[in-house]
Amino acid sequence: MHDRNRQLNLADALRALPLETPEHSVWPELAAELSRDSQFGIRDSVKGERMRRFAIPALLAAALAGIFVVSFRRHETPTSAQTTNPGSRITNHEIATVTPDNASSNTNSAKVGNVHSAATDAAQLAALQRRSQDLERWLSETGDVAAPLQGQDLLAATEIENLIGLVDVELTAKRQMQDTGLWKRRVDLLEDLSALRYSNYQLAAGGRVIAASLTN
Amino acid sequence: MSVRTLQRTLVADTRDYFACDHSHARCIFTIVTASSFQIDVPQALLARACAGDLGAFEQIYRRFERPVYTLALRLLGEPEAARDALHDAMLKVFQRIGQFRGESPFWGWLRQIALNEALMRLRQHDRAETHDDLDAFVDEAPGPWVHADATTLERALGKLPAQTRSVLWLYHVEGYSHPEIAGMVGKTVSFSKSQVARGTQRLREILEPSVGPMSCMIATAN
Repeated sequence: MHDRNRQLNLADALRALPLETPEHSVWPELAAELSRDSQFGIRDSVKGERMRRFAIPALLAAALAGIFVVSFRRHETPTSAQTTNPGSRITNHEIATVTPDNASSNTNSAKVGNVHSAATDAAQLAALQRRSQDLERWLSETGDVAAPLQGQDLLAATEIENLIGLVDVELTAKRQMQDTGLWKRRVDLLEDLSALRYSNYQLAAGGRVIAASLTN
Repeated sequence: MSVRTLQRTLVADTRDYFACDHSHARCIFTIVTASSFQIDVPQALLARACAGDLGAFEQIYRRFERPVYTLALRLLGEPEAARDALHDAMLKVFQRIGQFRGESPFWGWLRQIALNEALMRLRQHDRAETHDDLDAFVDEAPGPWVHADATTLERALGKLPAQTRSVLWLYHVEGYSHPEIAGMVGKTVSFSKSQVARGTQRLREILEPSVGPMSCMIATAN
């Protein structure tokens, strides 16, 4: 009964309607705005703003933490080496730091490098897809509980959802959906959206701590 | 080619017309494409736009001004709202053109932005139209739109509720499937189907009275 072909008459009639033209062109306004906005090539709305505000300090903090860990291990190595002696007592901390091949600080540094190089694209992609699923599940589960977004939050959420939609369009256009960059962008956007919804969810849940579901 | 793209291509194919001009030695085929957005944009032009060339932006704007405005006008029904949607959609296109990766057609990417802009406005102005889901009823008789001129049909379209008109347009003109439309407007598949059926029926009712008196006159004359 419901067959698109049977309605082609109406489709043809609608598609035959002439294209409309705005009474006044929008271009002069657009040109002025684009000229004014010197950053239009770089601006990436909410995500870009968040990246600038949070990602750089976060990277710096991670780098400092990395330097601290490496130098700490360098100092710790002689002590850990002693634990290999039979009969000596091994503390919990030492168990954590001693591994079969951490004979010198040089090998420690090499291991840090190897961890990064061992993270293959496939593993990265799988991790991003898992993270994307988790975030989506959380958003869907908390959707009914969270208080409705309003004002600027609502606009921002709509904007982010639009951007996620665009990423999805690009992902579906790729036959294998293997683009790590696109998945990374999707996860970033979902995290932005989660952060936005999170504050509302907290309010709706009477301030109960639900950080675990976000960080999982 | 993804299943979705394939489906859309098949739908588009069934809608193509082939006109044959017998006054010439050979046939001239005129293909009417499924969407007015299907405009090829040269790679060189896109590259210039990505580099921030305002002239390239203007060329892209000129190519897509009418398709974007028409889509927005059909969905929103108000010229001023459609103009705002055109402005915001094109601004977003130019601000984010660096994100376009070239793995899908540029027109599809741009259409998605334009559609999102129009749908966002539609949601904001949604006057809580409530429609019960109906079984999709399709009248197989030829509709009065076959004989209606463009102005009459446009006027009749304008009388439909915004949501019904939008679903009808997205389904028939832009070639989206019911599940896709349901996802866009945040409703069920049966809602999308019922809106197409309702819209078709309502258009028939609006357009038929103009045909009615003529039928009576013919009957009287006979």
